[in-house]
Amino acid sequence: MLQVQNIEKYYGSKNNVTKALDRVSFDVEDGEFLVIMGASGSGKTTLLNCLSTIDTVSAGKILMDGVNIANLSEDALAKFRRERLGFVFQDFNLLDTLTIEENIGLALSLNHISARAVQNRVREVAGKLGITEILSKFPYQVSGGQKQRTACARAMVAGQSLLLADEPTGALDSKASKNLLEIMSTMNRDMDATILMVTHDAYSASYAGRVLFLKDGRVFNELLRGNRGRAVFYHEILDVLAALGGDVSDVF
Amino acid sequence: MTCFKLSLRNAERQAQDYLVYFATMVMAAALIYVFNGLAFSNEVQRLSQALAPLPLVIVFASIVVVGIFGWLVSYATRFMLTRRSRELGLYILSGITNNQVAWIFFLENLAVGVVSLFFGIALGGLLYQVMRAIVLSLFGLPYHFALAFSVPAILLTVAYLFAIYLYALQRNRKRIRRMKIYDLIYYEKQNEDVVIRTGKGRCKIFRASIVLGVAGICLLMTGGMAAGFAGAGCVIFFLFGFFLSFTSGIPAFFDRHPFRKYQGQNLLVFRTLTAKLATMGIVMAVISVIFTATLLTEGGGFMINGLVRGRAVDNACFDLYLSAEGGETDLSSYLDYIAENIPMEQSVLYRIYLSGGTQVMDYICEHADHNRYEYDSDPVLRFSDYAMLRSLAGYSTVEPEVGKYLIHCKSFLKKAMCGYAESISLNGTSLTAGSIHTEHLSQGFYDMTNGRDYILVVPDEAVDGLEIHHTAYAAKTVEPVSETQLAVLNDMSDRDYEEQEDPQGYVFVDTKANEENMAAMQILLLVFPLFYVALALIMTAAAILTIQQLSETDRYRRQFILLHKLGMDRRDMACALRKQFVIYYAMPAIPAVLISVPCILKLCHEPEPGVMIGISSPAAIVTIALGVFFLIYAVYILLAYTSLKRNVLPR
Repeated sequence: MLQVQNIEKYYGSKNNVTKALDRVSFDVEDGEFLVIMGASGSGKTTLLNCLSTIDTVSAGKILMDGVNIANLSEDALAKFRRERLGFVFQDFNLLDTLTIEENIGLALSLNHISARAVQNRVREVAGKLGITEILSKFPYQVSGGQKQRTACARAMVAGQSLLLADEPTGALDSKASKNLLEIMSTMNRDMDATILMVTHDAYSASYAGRVLFLKDGRVFNELLRGNRGRAVFYHEILDVLAALGGDVSDVF
Repeated sequence: MTCFKLSLRNAERQAQDYLVYFATMVMAAALIYVFNGLAFSNEVQRLSQALAPLPLVIVFASIVVVGIFGWLVSYATRFMLTRRSRELGLYILSGITNNQVAWIFFLENLAVGVVSLFFGIALGGLLYQVMRAIVLSLFGLPYHFALAFSVPAILLTVAYLFAIYLYALQRNRKRIRRMKIYDLIYYEKQNEDVVIRTGKGRCKIFRASIVLGVAGICLLMTGGMAAGFAGAGCVIFFLFGFFLSFTSGIPAFFDRHPFRKYQGQNLLVFRTLTAKLATMGIVMAVISVIFTATLLTEGGGFMINGLVRGRAVDNACFDLYLSAEGGETDLSSYLDYIAENIPMEQSVLYRIYLSGGTQVMDYICEHADHNRYEYDSDPVLRFSDYAMLRSLAGYSTVEPEVGKYLIHCKSFLKKAMCGYAESISLNGTSLTAGSIHTEHLSQGFYDMTNGRDYILVVPDEAVDGLEIHHTAYAAKTVEPVSETQLAVLNDMSDRDYEEQEDPQGYVFVDTKANEENMAAMQILLLVFPLFYVALALIMTAAAILTIQQLSETDRYRRQFILLHKLGMDRRDMACALRKQFVIYYAMPAIPAVLISVPCILKLCHEPEPGVMIGISSPAAIVTIALGVFFLIYAVYILLAYTSLKRNVLPR
């Protein structure tokens, strides 16, 4: 589905250039749950921004179903984000003036889906994510976990094929985090959602099928879960993180 | 860092963040300076003795204006306190006392006030020259540029601005001194409550407000003081009820029509808008009241301007005009004084007769807006006198038509008179209808003029035996008749009237110069203060709306960044922002327009017919009043839109 080929990203001017991404390459298959981990400043968010077309790469290619997204016009990029990508952010990024139902429906509304179809589709997705009861409420009236589930619903309601999640459990307590991660796993397993998640948290990463570790803008390591249990995979992730440079505070 | 330095730094930031407010205060200072400069100008006072009350009128208007701008400053500083309360709370948390924080806030606002005063007076000095040019042209005098600052105007402007800021800032100072750290840090979360919460209550209030609005406009249209006050009360209740219920009504509308909200950009536009309006329903109502007051004040000003000018143009046809009731009054003493003191080019002594019948008057009353007023029967003028009057007024020559009578009427009667072709009979002489002429000929308002709205011009011999209504004298002088000469003639008239044993009438004296001066003076005394107040009103209301809108910049920016990530293209975002802007700024203006337009039209129909015509016609006055209003409003809207578009739409 997604092919990242030797991408590089530089920031700054002539005399003060920072290399945020250094020849990063990997593929994401349809229906895969991929996590990208790394310490602060390792290039995780830069990579996610490039994948989500919010930022551009300095060199290399990002191919989505064989199409280089760098060649798309501004209008085509907007259409691409609308139709193909779903976002879940650490701070939820819900519009506080809209109800939960409207926040989810917004994604469909942007896709010019007929007004009558919006409500049915929103209710269907809300049912799957267990937020039907709160549809008429405003974001400030619901918990963090419910907000994040709303964000997940918005990210998949328009049939987006790739869900990009940036530290989605960062602002949640452990119970809400676990709940969200299970929902994401269900989305991946039962609804064939392709998920690419960026996180510091080894526990969150243990829900993925594959983990890529970034260090100083480069892919440092890759872990495949295979048929192992989540607990085993979690400890393997911790081992790699320890080898990465001992960012213990980032691990827990 | 001392409190003073901190205050200065904050003041600089505040002026940048609230540029519209700062610019409005500069304009406010300029406005106050200009009008006070006018009131205390020796040059203006010398224009006419009748302008003696001008300083009093302007001071009174200034007090109203100070109240209006005082509200703006009070609102804006309180608003800034709400927005910056967290920062002020952090000062206290860092160990600065409440008193010091209150002092910092006081000083930084005062600094903004002092700077706006400085710029305002500088700008006012330039604008005063524009005002001087307007005033001098009103009195028909030449304008020469001479930049000078009026010390009394500067002192008054300083005093007014000081009063405005002192009042507003003292209130905020007390508020900060009483507040605890927690209150300050969480103060921004204390929004204005949504006053009406239940759907049932909202519906009742909405319906009642609409009924009150209609009743209020009807009462205002009926005229009279009691009805006017009751109407104004109803309209104010309508505006408050409407804005408190309407903003809560949009979510209810979407609840009933869920599919509508997903059409186009409805969801985004209306939800963002209602979130904003729901917390400022009362402010919106106040702004709508202010807009209504602005339009009424402006419309009233234009109406008085049109009325005064219309009457002056109608009455000021002859350099000198005298008239005396009946045909027996002896005008020789007046004519002797005129011959000795006022150099003359041409003059005519003539009489206005009564036809003895009312057939033309009856026709006019039936077909046009005309009242009988002074005349019991149709007024009649000899053709030779008419020809002379035309010559004095500088009009083209009219050829006599044998066996016919001409009609000279005001232009508003022309259409009706064109359909009149009846013959008249004067002492057995039958005359058929001839041509119609409509130049100004002193035909209105005063009792003893050349007919009221119309006069029949007949062959000289046809007036034999007709009753004389009054005797008149009209002249074209070499120089305009001075105020002193007019005063002498008026004194003679007063003396004659008092000396009569059985007073039958008086001698009416008027001059073209006097009419023009009176018009200019009335405009200066009545119209200028109205525009002064209207400008203060619109600037205040538009500034508050704009401050409110721009204060949401950060929230809008976050919203559009998210929408950009979700794939909304920039055109749609700009379109949504534009729609939201149009609705936000139209909301308080629409009720104001709906209320004020019928009232202005009613007001413009009040004066005697035939005066409010051309550029002073009711439709023209409404158009001009709306035009000026929306022009000033558009400046604020444009400022806010360009600023918001630049800052919130992702590039």
